[in-house]
Amino acid sequence: MDLLNLTRANALLLFILFCTTVLIFIGKARRGGSLFIRRIAGLNAIDEAVGRATELGKKVLYVPGIMSLDENQTIASLAVLGHVARMTARYNTDLDVPNKDPLTFAAARETVKEAYLEEGRPDLYTEAMVHYVTYDQFAYTASVSGIMVREKPAANFLIGSFYAESLLLAETGQTTKAIQIAGTAEIAQLPFFVCACDYTLIGEELYAAGAYLSREPAQLGSIKGQDITKAIVGLYIVIATILLLFGSSHMQDLLKIE
Amino acid sequence: MDWLTKLMSLDRRYIFLFVAIGTALPILFPIGFKVSITPPVRNIYDKVESLGPEDVVMFSFDYGPSTSPENDPMADATLRHCLSRGIKVIVIALYPVGGVTMADQSLSRVLADFPQVRRGIDYVHLGYKSGSQATMKQMGESMAAVFPTDRYGTPLEEIPLMKRVRNYDDMRLVVSFATGIIGEWWANLINAQFHVPIAVGCTAVSAPKYYAYLNSGQMIGLLGGLKGASEYEKLLIDHYPDARATYDRAGLYTAIKGMDAQTVIHTVILVFIILGNVAFLAGRGKR
Amino acid sequence: MRFLRLQMPLMLTALAGLIPIVAFFMSPDVEWSQWLKDRLERYMVIIASFAILLGVVNVVQSNVRKIERRQKGWPYGATLLFGMLAMATIGILGSFRVGPFQGIGYTPDGGRTPFQWGAEFVFSPLQATMFALLAFFMASAAFRAFRARNLEATILLVAAGVVMLGRIPFGESILGGRPYLAKFTEWLMDWPNAAAQRGIMIGAALGAASLSLRVIVGIERSFLGLEKNE
Repeated sequence: MDLLNLTRANALLLFILFCTTVLIFIGKARRGGSLFIRRIAGLNAIDEAVGRATELGKKVLYVPGIMSLDENQTIASLAVLGHVARMTARYNTDLDVPNKDPLTFAAARETVKEAYLEEGRPDLYTEAMVHYVTYDQFAYTASVSGIMVREKPAANFLIGSFYAESLLLAETGQTTKAIQIAGTAEIAQLPFFVCACDYTLIGEELYAAGAYLSREPAQLGSIKGQDITKAIVGLYIVIATILLLFGSSHMQDLLKIE
Repeated sequence: MDWLTKLMSLDRRYIFLFVAIGTALPILFPIGFKVSITPPVRNIYDKVESLGPEDVVMFSFDYGPSTSPENDPMADATLRHCLSRGIKVIVIALYPVGGVTMADQSLSRVLADFPQVRRGIDYVHLGYKSGSQATMKQMGESMAAVFPTDRYGTPLEEIPLMKRVRNYDDMRLVVSFATGIIGEWWANLINAQFHVPIAVGCTAVSAPKYYAYLNSGQMIGLLGGLKGASEYEKLLIDHYPDARATYDRAGLYTAIKGMDAQTVIHTVILVFIILGNVAFLAGRGKR
Repeated sequence: MRFLRLQMPLMLTALAGLIPIVAFFMSPDVEWSQWLKDRLERYMVIIASFAILLGVVNVVQSNVRKIERRQKGWPYGATLLFGMLAMATIGILGSFRVGPFQGIGYTPDGGRTPFQWGAEFVFSPLQATMFALLAFFMASAAFRAFRARNLEATILLVAAGVVMLGRIPFGESILGGRPYLAKFTEWLMDWPNAAAQRGIMIGAALGAASLSLRVIVGIERSFLGLEKNE
């Protein structure tokens, strides 16, 4: 009896290649190697958005998407939430985090609480900052839109996994003249965010956000490793396409997974 | 403030007003535009045409009431097509908020026209199951493990149709009517792992993302929004005389009727975009 | 305490992340890996169902507090609590088939149970109303965003115009009934659109994989409320 599913050997090799590259760069970063990560405008604008809310004496609204913790975008969003919460703690600005998913709600609450502790301002943290709304997508949208219209936050963060509610939230936020920073890897929703928000994190920028904001070498190293793998994948696609034009589908067939 | 500036900063409520009028008028006074067929829809129709009474097709209701005006007509049309050909049908719902109600309603609408179709023999309604991805993968191992009973509480081993359906291997097609990510999971998880042919009926907003799966062969076809549904209805009407009588029935909401409103709204939006650009370019010319 | 707060969650996360990966690469004949994967998937379903209780408790707590303190918008909180309690009560009574509450779906004669009535005639129209707002917001967003500001924006504008016309029969009518726009729309969707989508998908998939790896090895831990210093 085989221990491994040999029909998936190609996937295993790719998996090993990816993990090794990422882990090598994490190790390199930990040893103090210099790493350059390009500027991401949407993430740099977080300071500006929280600063504006502070100046106006209004709240910051953070929407962590509508999916649960088994969605990577939610985890990436929580990393950004940690950063935003540290800033609101530092500047004594109101923060409001309404949730649709109960697991995300529990994790968001821990993240915000920890951020306030870390900034030395546990006195400013209240349970009401991170609250649960409902499991229904559109009831949640109605509730968040209500917060936007009634309380007029100065900064809206729409970061995570979004579906049909993306434009409803972004357009409502736009009418309240709030500065809006969005981020998602849901391709169908990206055009809506680009249209209605001031800054949008597109796809992998969202996944890189936590690393970018934390500036932690190990995390930045993983981004570098991921970029190297992307370059390898890109090169492979180009070569495979050229070979395909000449009638050879070997490289394409190599990637088929059973 | 000159007219250019006024037009550029037009209060969005005027746009809302035109959209409301543009939607209401064609519903009250149907126009009846012509529908042309596109390949992604034709592929699903042809696939169903290639199947017969010994084949099983599974319908997954992965949407809720919010998108029912778009998803209902496509679910009804494909279900009607399968039952017209005597194909055996399994109905499930994976969308937590209202998916099973959508399945109930679609079945009751369509079954009214097929009195000869028997529950448990020609079709099975297994109801809703939570767990999304995990549930979908588990069905690849055993349907009975995921749905021990049908929607009405009958154990699966007592249902004649389910005696010959163990997992995806025994299905010739899975059609998901989806509003969110569940449709994508059928293509990128279930087709990739279990190789069962997948067709997706989605909202128009999410249609563009499915073309990547369509081109890679992970889906056999796509019903994109109301347009896709209207094409399927047209194919059905053209080839099945009974369907024509059904779709001509007064009071029945169909995608072909809905396309009137969509046509007017698209035109209204295009006119606004053109006006906005005329004002923008004229304003730039002045500066 | 440190074990419970730091090491155990990280170990559980790593384990839950590794099990599906190992099962994917193991032969289907290796029973223990499939067994572990199946268990994990079942536990996920159970945990997800129980997690909703967390939310319900918080909704009740925060809205009761809001009503007690007569905070801004408290009537909305009261409406929410009333709706939640009403549907929950009808649902529970229906599940136990008490009096007129015989189930939560349709009755055997095709009639509606009170729960089904609420879902069909209150909940469904409200959901549909929210979704329908999209048509209005799309129109206003398109009016504002689609401007020929530069070459890229102009290409986007033209492509959007073609797709919008190609998706409606009117597009054919203005070209004398010839389906050129519909065909061009299909071409746009099939090739330039699919190519761009795949580019973003590949990038996002690698980003997601990299994030997953960071989570499994415990570098990314913000979702546990842990910071880098812990």
